[in-house]
Amino acid sequence: MEKRLLIEDQIRKNKRDTIIICALMALLFIAVIFAIGFILFRGNIYISLIFALPIAIGYVLTMYSISVPAVLSAAKARPANPKIREEKILIYKVEDMAIAAGLPTPKVYVQDSEYINAFATGRNPKEGVICVTTGALKKLNQEELEGVIAHEMSHIKNYDIRVATVTIAVVGAISLLSEILFYSMFWGGAGRGRRDGNGLLIAIALLFVILAPIFARITYLAISRRREYLADSNGAYLTRNPEGLAKALEKIKMDHPKTKPKGSKTVAPLYIANPFKSMSASSLWSTHPPIDERIKRLRSM
Amino acid sequence: MWFLIGIIVLILVVFFLLIFFGYYNRIIRLENRIDNSWAQIDVQLKRRADLIPNLMETVKGYMKHEREVLENVTKARSALINAKTPQENMDANNMLTGALKTLFAVAENYPNLKANENFLSLQDELTNTENKIAYTRQHFNDSVLVYNNLVETIPGRWFASMMHKKTKEMLQIPEESREVPKVKF
Repeated sequence: MEKRLLIEDQIRKNKRDTIIICALMALLFIAVIFAIGFILFRGNIYISLIFALPIAIGYVLTMYSISVPAVLSAAKARPANPKIREEKILIYKVEDMAIAAGLPTPKVYVQDSEYINAFATGRNPKEGVICVTTGALKKLNQEELEGVIAHEMSHIKNYDIRVATVTIAVVGAISLLSEILFYSMFWGGAGRGRRDGNGLLIAIALLFVILAPIFARITYLAISRRREYLADSNGAYLTRNPEGLAKALEKIKMDHPKTKPKGSKTVAPLYIANPFKSMSASSLWSTHPPIDERIKRLRSM
Repeated sequence: MWFLIGIIVLILVVFFLLIFFGYYNRIIRLENRIDNSWAQIDVQLKRRADLIPNLMETVKGYMKHEREVLENVTKARSALINAKTPQENMDANNMLTGALKTLFAVAENYPNLKANENFLSLQDELTNTENKIAYTRQHFNDSVLVYNNLVETIPGRWFASMMHKKTKEMLQIPEESREVPKVKF
């Protein structure tokens, strides 16, 4: 039942799935706006658009300006030190991967932590940053470290950081709009001049608006998981060695150091493995796919 | 009626021009990418060649009696500097890799040399350039693959022949190092 997918096919499939999911997200967003218009303005769509769009756009724009310094200071990351041999070699390897990917070399940072982990950030490849934990430098061998770096490099190449941020912003916007609607129902009162026969439609629209934030969040998490699979396959293509990352993931699975992970929850989606879960349980609510499934896919390339 | 036909013809011409511009630009961009990736290989090859004199100075005192080993390295370096075509460069680089492998293996017998800071840092640098050459070559071949795919498939091949563009050659990896030659630090 397990087909041997060529790396290139996996990449294409993942990209297609992401586009489908993003399109669904966009439709959801538009539907919410229409639903609000229906409820608040007696079906007058245009007024609702004028009302909802500036809020949505404003929200999206503020979210779009990712602050790399903020992410780095939240993670307490420091620039890699070439005088330390491990970190010098890390810098060399990041340069290697940037060459393989055809990108400018991202800045290299290090996070002092016993956990094996890594993340990438930056608005676009020119401003890319890759950060690796000292735990990873100690516990991973050469090919495993290369696999991890290649995975992060692929995130940068695929503009995943931008996709994730905009998607979070849209989810936030949908939630904000739903909340505004809810409060306006409270204060506006039930007698908002509803014509006969519209009652049922308004009830449906209301139900929809309440459920929309939930659907949006599920969609965001689905996108996030797809993108992780894509980074896995792209990374394997860069190193021509899927086994490297597979082995690294196995080590990450077994990695349970005693200290708590650093960094805020919002940064978590950018990590190679979710630092806040001790078991890799897959559910509708994980940003990362289950580790076992990732290892299986890598080994079937 | 003629007016209508004229409009349709105009639209078709504009449509075709846009597609032509698209392919033309794409082919040029891919060619530039290939040239760029070759330039990167060249940079790494030069860095590698430049490290050798320093290496020779460092080991000279310690490995006085290993004349043949040292000569092989120097010979390989000359071959690299004199190489002209891309494939000559790749072959010369391979020769140098082999010669260096022997040198570093022999260096294992000289504990004083192994403790020398300069020697260790040069060893790291040489390993680094070797890996970078492997990756720049990979990127070069990847770029050639994308270009060849465009130039050989339909409709790309029609535009390519209009522009007198042919397929390009990839860099061959010599038989001895068939598996991806990534060197460990």
